[in-house]
Amino acid sequence: MIPIENFLVLSGILFSIGIYGVLARRNAVLIIMSVELMLQAVSINFIAFAVYLHPEQFTGLIFAIFVITIAAAEVGLALGIILRIFRNKGTANVDEVDMLKW
Amino acid sequence: MEEAWLIPALPAAAFVILLLFGKYLPRHGDWLAIGAIATSFVLFFFVLADLLDDMVGTEFDKALGQSGIEWVSFGDFELRLGFQVDQLAIVMLAVVTFITLMVLVYSTGYMKGDPRYGWYFAAISLFAAAMLTLVLADNFLLLYAAWEGVGFGSYLLIGFWHEKRSATEAAKKAFITTRIGDVGLLIGIILLWREAGTFDMSEIFEFAESGGYSSEYLTMAVLFLFAGAVGKSAQFPLHVWLPDAMEGPTPVSALIHAATMVVAGVYLVARLMPLFAAADPIALNVVTAIGLTTVMMSATMGLVATDIKRVIAYSTINSLGLMMVALGSLSVSAAMLYLFAHSFFKALLFLSAGSVIHATERQEVSELGGLARRMPVTAAVFAVGALSMAGIVPLAGFWAKDEILNVAGDSQNFVVYGFLMLSVFITALYMTRVVILTFLGEPRDREAHQHAHDAEPVMTLPLLLLAGLTVMAGFVVFDGVGEALGFPGGIGEFVFLEGPEAFHFPWDVAVLSTLSAVAGLAGGFYFWSGAAEPARRAGELFRPAYEILKRKFFMDDIYQWAIDRVVLAAGGVIAWFDRNVVNDTGVDGSARLGVFAGFGMKFLETGKLPNYALAIVTGVIVLAIVFMVVRV
Repeated sequence: MIPIENFLVLSGILFSIGIYGVLARRNAVLIIMSVELMLQAVSINFIAFAVYLHPEQFTGLIFAIFVITIAAAEVGLALGIILRIFRNKGTANVDEVDMLKW
Repeated sequence: MEEAWLIPALPAAAFVILLLFGKYLPRHGDWLAIGAIATSFVLFFFVLADLLDDMVGTEFDKALGQSGIEWVSFGDFELRLGFQVDQLAIVMLAVVTFITLMVLVYSTGYMKGDPRYGWYFAAISLFAAAMLTLVLADNFLLLYAAWEGVGFGSYLLIGFWHEKRSATEAAKKAFITTRIGDVGLLIGIILLWREAGTFDMSEIFEFAESGGYSSEYLTMAVLFLFAGAVGKSAQFPLHVWLPDAMEGPTPVSALIHAATMVVAGVYLVARLMPLFAAADPIALNVVTAIGLTTVMMSATMGLVATDIKRVIAYSTINSLGLMMVALGSLSVSAAMLYLFAHSFFKALLFLSAGSVIHATERQEVSELGGLARRMPVTAAVFAVGALSMAGIVPLAGFWAKDEILNVAGDSQNFVVYGFLMLSVFITALYMTRVVILTFLGEPRDREAHQHAHDAEPVMTLPLLLLAGLTVMAGFVVFDGVGEALGFPGGIGEFVFLEGPEAFHFPWDVAVLSTLSAVAGLAGGFYFWSGAAEPARRAGELFRPAYEILKRKFFMDDIYQWAIDRVVLAAGGVIAWFDRNVVNDTGVDGSARLGVFAGFGMKFLETGKLPNYALAIVTGVIVLAIVFMVVRV
């Protein structure tokens, strides 16, 4: 059996890449992709722990499926919003979308 | 005794109906108020019959016939509200229902044509309901609520003619002064409850008898409770409100400020006698001292008062002081006998004074005089009341006062006894004075004298009934009379604390008190008959003393000074603190701080997504580090 540390390192790497993407990227679409990476890192953790700790239960696996489902819905929504922003302002750069402030 | 709750409930219902529909009822619903209290009076006899069946030589504090409901219960604390009928309550029930009935009948004549005729009857019904609840309450919480209820009723009725500024001032003065005592009462109740964990009176008495309270604690508690009685019963130093309360309609003075509400304090102390007895003797000495001070101050002030109602008001304070002395001598039966007799002759005095005022529209004795020829019936009943107050045999006041002198002579030192004898003399003196100045001699105001006449039958009938009772009520001291009426014996065998006492009559006390009273009467005739020349000369001779009495021992001035200098000054400081510190700094300051902080912090809202994301990530990392450091 593959040791659990491998999965944890993998998910840690994925999560960090996701955080880096969210912080460093300016394009809204890329930020959403980074968020997806973070979500999948979490999903990997769920599955790994589910298999290692409670192989007889499906709780972790079901959580992962929920995460995937909700992530899909979220992406659909977010892309819709980004499209509207792009239509209105002609850009998807989050630095330039700062109307909601003091 | 299950029906006892109906006795206060009927006037309460009458109050509600009169308040809501009084305007639409014929005669503004006065018959409803009278009917309600008359029914209560009839019910009283049923309750009395029940009580006499039940009691076989029991003490009054062994709750006879309790009934009630559970009001609230939380945890292991239960609050029962209930009514309890015992000998004390029976005496008070008799007094309150009967006097209220008499006063209401009288008022249909006295208040005729008043623009707020209906409201008057509603307010008296409210007062009667509260007073009867107070009498029957079996626990301190209900008693306190009813206690405030009668205070409120009294406030409404003193200020009944609120177009008059003096009436509103008097109402306020009465309410606030009695409230000062009531604070003490509330503290006392809380102190008793804190140790015993119950408000129920009989349980608290048992707790006290089993030594649940330490002596000092109980003494402190009963002294606080006594403060409530001092306020309500107009004892020194809170007596100042009662003379001013005469601004109310005269029947109200008869009902509330003579026969019922003001004796609530006496009733409270009598009811709590087991606690006073269990406490340090100092508590009873305080009761005696306050009572005696009140007796002497009010009696001397009664000598110089010029308003006929105020003279009677001072005589009321005088009587209340006597009752307190009786209680201070641990004699519940003497106090309750005096209370019983006093209610009749004092109501009689007030109501006949009301007839005088009604007929002449004058209250100052300097404008009255010679009215006996014009109003013979009123003069006769007033004289009966005055003689009873003075303590002339065989009127009710004589037996009651003698009983008090008796117990005071037995259990107090000779100074108290001597002062009481002196007060008997002064009482006779000023009662003679008011009778002479009002009814004898030459009329000083011709016009008023011309129009004066005895009042209509509806007002005279209660006077005659009360006069009859004034003559007869004192005979309840005789065991034979009590037995004939179905009681175990005289009042000493009916209302008692330590054991039934058969009637006994020490001749020395009776002779001495009669001598004092007769000396007072003779002195009164010497000083004030004719042109009252000796009185004027005495006034000149003792001018400083006269001035002090005229200024009511400067009590009002002292209070006024205290209010102006102490209360208002302290109020000014508190107002400054409230305006500057609480309001400007605290309330406005915190608002301004919020505005300022919001202005400064709003620049954190850049609207740029990466900033927010960075803040979130930083926050999570910081939290994670903190969590690890703290946890490990």
